Amino acid sequence: MYEPVGVGLLATSPLFEGLPASDLVDLARVVRRRSVSAGDVLWHQGTAAKGMAIIIEGRVAVALRLPGDRTVDLAEVGPGETLGELPLIDGGPHSATARVTEAGSMLFLSRADFVAFLSRPGPVACVLWRGFVGVATARLRRQLAYLGDSLGPPPSGRAAAGPAPTPAQLEFTGPPDSRYIRRMANFRAFEPLALWGFLTRGRYARVERGQTLEEEGGPATGLYVVINGGVERVVIRGDRRIRVGLAGPGRAFGYEGLIDGEPAPSTAIARERALLLVLSPDAFARLFQGDIDESLVFLDVITRDAAAWLRQALRPQARLATGPIA
Amino acid sequence: MCRVLGYLGEPVSLRQVLFDTDSSLVAQSYSPRMMNTFLNLAGFGMAAWEPQSARPEEPFVYRTTMVPTFDRNLRGLARKLEPTCLIAHVRGVTYGERELVGASNLHPFRFPGTQVTLAHNGHLREFRRMRFELIKHILPEFAEMIEGTTDSEWIYALVLSQLDDPSGCPEADELAQATMGALRVLRDVRALERIDVSSPVNLFVTTGESLVVTRFSYDYGWYPPEDTMLEIDLPYVSLWYTVGGRYAEHDGEHSMVDDGSVRSLLIASEPLTIDVSTWREVPEYSMITAWRTAGALEYELLDLVV
Repeated sequence: MYEPVGVGLLATSPLFEGLPASDLVDLARVVRRRSVSAGDVLWHQGTAAKGMAIIIEGRVAVALRLPGDRTVDLAEVGPGETLGELPLIDGGPHSATARVTEAGSMLFLSRADFVAFLSRPGPVACVLWRGFVGVATARLRRQLAYLGDSLGPPPSGRAAAGPAPTPAQLEFTGPPDSRYIRRMANFRAFEPLALWGFLTRGRYARVERGQTLEEEGGPATGLYVVINGGVERVVIRGDRRIRVGLAGPGRAFGYEGLIDGEPAPSTAIARERALLLVLSPDAFARLFQGDIDESLVFLDVITRDAAAWLRQALRPQARLATGPIA
Repeated sequence: MCRVLGYLGEPVSLRQVLFDTDSSLVAQSYSPRMMNTFLNLAGFGMAAWEPQSARPEEPFVYRTTMVPTFDRNLRGLARKLEPTCLIAHVRGVTYGERELVGASNLHPFRFPGTQVTLAHNGHLREFRRMRFELIKHILPEFAEMIEGTTDSEWIYALVLSQLDDPSGCPEADELAQATMGALRVLRDVRALERIDVSSPVNLFVTTGESLVVTRFSYDYGWYPPEDTMLEIDLPYVSLWYTVGGRYAEHDGEHSMVDDGSVRSLLIASEPLTIDVSTWREVPEYSMITAWRTAGALEYELLDLVV
């Protein structure tokens, strides 16, 4: 059933775009090609993930099981598209069930090989994280749009949450205690100098509870990392809203538009007074496109963060009966 | 930190929710999946209401400082009981010499002569400083019943003190209002004492006929310097629920049976199964209130602004 695969097949995937040819050759040695039949289940939602798939031929339906024995079809993916990358990033279980609807073939990359590949010297990790965060961002946008559609028509005019300030309008303050930062799970694994290099690329701002920080449909003004406090992301349609999730210490928001140039996919409001690390679009671009140590820390942090937001957006949403927006 | 389970609905197998599922409450005492670096080994407690028992309005109460997975008495009881309302709690404390592991600190709390029971998942930082102001808001008869050293027992006394008739059986709405009132008092006392650091208060409050549960934290995301609980409190304290006809095992899977009606609500710090697809996460800063109606159960989820 298994047979080796050529480099050309891998090079067609946006996930590996920009990977040097020599690295693509090495990756091809560990990726496996497999034929699949209609009706095959690649994996079930909630099961431990062994790897991800890149479709060469055929189609795969992705479905989410919900409470009450209900199922929602999330997407049907075809040649050139990928699935199962979320667990590869965060080590969690599969977020949905993948079932083959049209026979074909696909490439499989195991998590163990992915992790080993990431640890190679050179720019490999930065290139891979960029590819993965791009895919995760596209998925997140699709899911947030789905959540918005479930509430009603898209917003017209100003959003109900109030205008977001530009970074220049924020109240800036000094950096936090580095010992506190290093205890956060997101930052614990990094080499101190590289971490501090990333954390000093921006400025620190205090915001009050209820402050809108990003407006759905508005331009991306910067990347925000929550240092203290909590910021909630919501999708608002008139007086109805869905809370996508809460960003606590170590979590980030505001970067989707900086990655793909599109408007903000949701609204972000400070639920608690907060201390934020604010990166300007220029600082973001330098870190995002770079391959220095600080870039590696940065790309690792936001790729895992994008994966976390995607998981939060995919979880069954408990609707609040009432409640103020801010 | 602790793990808690609340249930209101059709008779449910106590053995199933305490022991049988692959992430049961007892399993969460030694292997919590949503709380890193912390175990809940400082005791177990429960209050279980069974309509067929003598004096059905009174719960069967069981508390032990024993690690519940080794407690044969509890396993024996769990095989027999099928409550229609339940609060069960496994207690976790910091690994410090000042912690007191004893019967008087075990949840859920239920003072003699009252019909309200409460368990707490969370902790009020700087609680020792709060007590001197807090005592002014607690009825004297309840203040003198406080036996233990936990903030949770004080919160319980505070909730009771918010009721019009603390010895009566409040309706769901009044229970919710009393819980809200207690949270407001805590907010005001914190402000008075200038306490502005993270303090989670996930409360489970019940009369056996209605259930109020909060997922809430004061000043989430702010911590004192060198805090020993930082790693535990960085994520918002978790809370999940599942609703449906009845919680049962079928085809080897434990889940809420969906038969088109809502008659049962199961709510817990973590889902009781590793497969979370039949569970919903309770949003942060919210309160869920459930009450019985004729042959069914109603519940409401509200944004909690305190």
